[in-house]
Amino acid sequence: MEGLVPLLQNVTGGLLIGGIYALIGVGLSLIFGVMRVINFAHGEFVAIGMYLAIALFADLGLDPYVSLLIALPAGLLAGWLIQRVVLARLIDSPGDSTLLATLGLSLVIANALFLLFGAEPKSIYLPYATATVNLAGIRLPVAQLIAGGITLAAIAGLWLLLNRTEIGRAVRATAQNRLGAELVGVNTRRVHALVFGLGMALAMAAGVILAPLLFAIPTVGSSYTLKAFVVTVLGGLGSVPGAIGGGLLLGVVEFLGASYLSSGYRDAYGLFAFLIVLLFRPQGLFGRETKRV
Amino acid sequence: MSYLRLGLVALAGLAWFLLLPDYRTLGINLLLLAGWASAWDLLGGWSGQTSLGHAAFVGLGAYTVAVTSTRWDLAPWWGALLAMALAALLALLWGKLTFRLRGSYFVLASIAVAEILRLVAINERELTGGAVGLFIFDLKEPFGLDLFGRGVEFWLALGYLVLVLAIAAFVTRGRLGYQMRAVREDEPSAEAAGINPEAVKLWAFAISGGLTALGGCLYGIVLSALQPQPLFEIHLSVRIALVAIIGGRGTLLGPLVGAALITVAAELFRNVFAEANLLIYGALIVIVVLFAPSGILGEVHRWTVRRRYARGARG
Repeated sequence: MEGLVPLLQNVTGGLLIGGIYALIGVGLSLIFGVMRVINFAHGEFVAIGMYLAIALFADLGLDPYVSLLIALPAGLLAGWLIQRVVLARLIDSPGDSTLLATLGLSLVIANALFLLFGAEPKSIYLPYATATVNLAGIRLPVAQLIAGGITLAAIAGLWLLLNRTEIGRAVRATAQNRLGAELVGVNTRRVHALVFGLGMALAMAAGVILAPLLFAIPTVGSSYTLKAFVVTVLGGLGSVPGAIGGGLLLGVVEFLGASYLSSGYRDAYGLFAFLIVLLFRPQGLFGRETKRV
Repeated sequence: MSYLRLGLVALAGLAWFLLLPDYRTLGINLLLLAGWASAWDLLGGWSGQTSLGHAAFVGLGAYTVAVTSTRWDLAPWWGALLAMALAALLALLWGKLTFRLRGSYFVLASIAVAEILRLVAINERELTGGAVGLFIFDLKEPFGLDLFGRGVEFWLALGYLVLVLAIAAFVTRGRLGYQMRAVREDEPSAEAAGINPEAVKLWAFAISGGLTALGGCLYGIVLSALQPQPLFEIHLSVRIALVAIIGGRGTLLGPLVGAALITVAAELFRNVFAEANLLIYGALIVIVVLFAPSGILGEVHRWTVRRRYARGARG
């Protein structure tokens, strides 16, 4: 029983951070499933969310959890615009042009953040968020609990949108067969813009709830892009439930690996799993043969 | 025709050396970047396999020269040969493993492999010095030349670029070059025509990796203080790939044009952007993807070919 409490401590910590990975990965997977675009700028969207929360907190004293109300519509709008201005022109072009365009966007965003905010690490200090709740010997930081709650709410909202509304039906139809969806009257251009906007809004929301938890630097995005790739490939590219499972799995593996194995190779375990899944089980750990949203 | 262009590149390098003595370090960086991008282009452009992991070969080259010269007292040219052999071997293993993946999946796998190699370089302290890195103090002097002098390094970098371009010209005009293009355009059709796509891609990757590592050796000597962070980093991989794509994939001089454009632009705007110099890469690649999908030289080629046909049709 000695080792049980630390183990549970690690698992719950991993699940809470994994929930945030899931929130990031869900958007990436949705974008790939519907648009067949590998979004290299996804981690940079997280970074935009972090810096938005930091700027609103520093200039207006706005609580980061209140600034979610600004981040979500802002992300939707910005994603919509990026899709309309850049990606819509490339959707039928061959090869890796959308991949290169999003890679270029990621460089532009990361360096623009650098010009705007400088290189020094920034964070948000919330007195109430540093408190911890003691649950049967397991200590849970309040900020992580709030993050977990918001993640749960966001994913539940996305699930309702995709499975219980007419818009969600159009999104799923576009993912299954774009031409078929167009033939039955779905405006797939608008669906693509909506999906990219949703993905960006979710990534920015993840950034906002990460802002009180860790320090932001302008290059923080690229590590989240890699994590989001790992999460989505583990769960199967294009699968939303898979991305949730992959996110939770990565969170727990990182926490357990860092405390029980060598911490220097912590990022490598995820990448190894990523490569192996990519090579031998490209539909993901939990996926079926076909890719669905 | 292409050897004439190689001569012009060498002449331009000579002119840079004589006319811009204050910008030799910039010139070395430009020549090395152009050489890496040209080597990348053999795989990424001519064979159509976009890699975002070529920094691994740069790091491998630099570290091999550092380890062999400081630990085993080996002359740097033997170190460079060893580095090229190791890089070709690494490329063969890497390709054998990941060439079954297509398109974006291959790109993602290349990032993962390069990241794992970076983590190995940071963590295997006995071999690489870990995060602190390695230092190259003194090197054997071929014909009494000091390899740490900026002038000598400039000539070596120019020689490296001309060598890469010559090999690229030779390879792409030969049988392998036609096979590489066939695999790029349509793999099943190439296979139906009797080409072994995997073997072609492996050859391209091995040559590309070996040549990139040779540039890495030179870069290691130029830096003389090696750390895993700038050498193995994904940003270097991204720069190598984007330079070639912006200049024009699958053209002999495209990577050089891309490298020259970006290096000179970064130098001109150095005070404005400070360390945010990757902004230029990002903005340029978005513009190129949207408006000039074949890259700068690729679009020029298309335009001249179209004009030639138009003139031919008029009689």
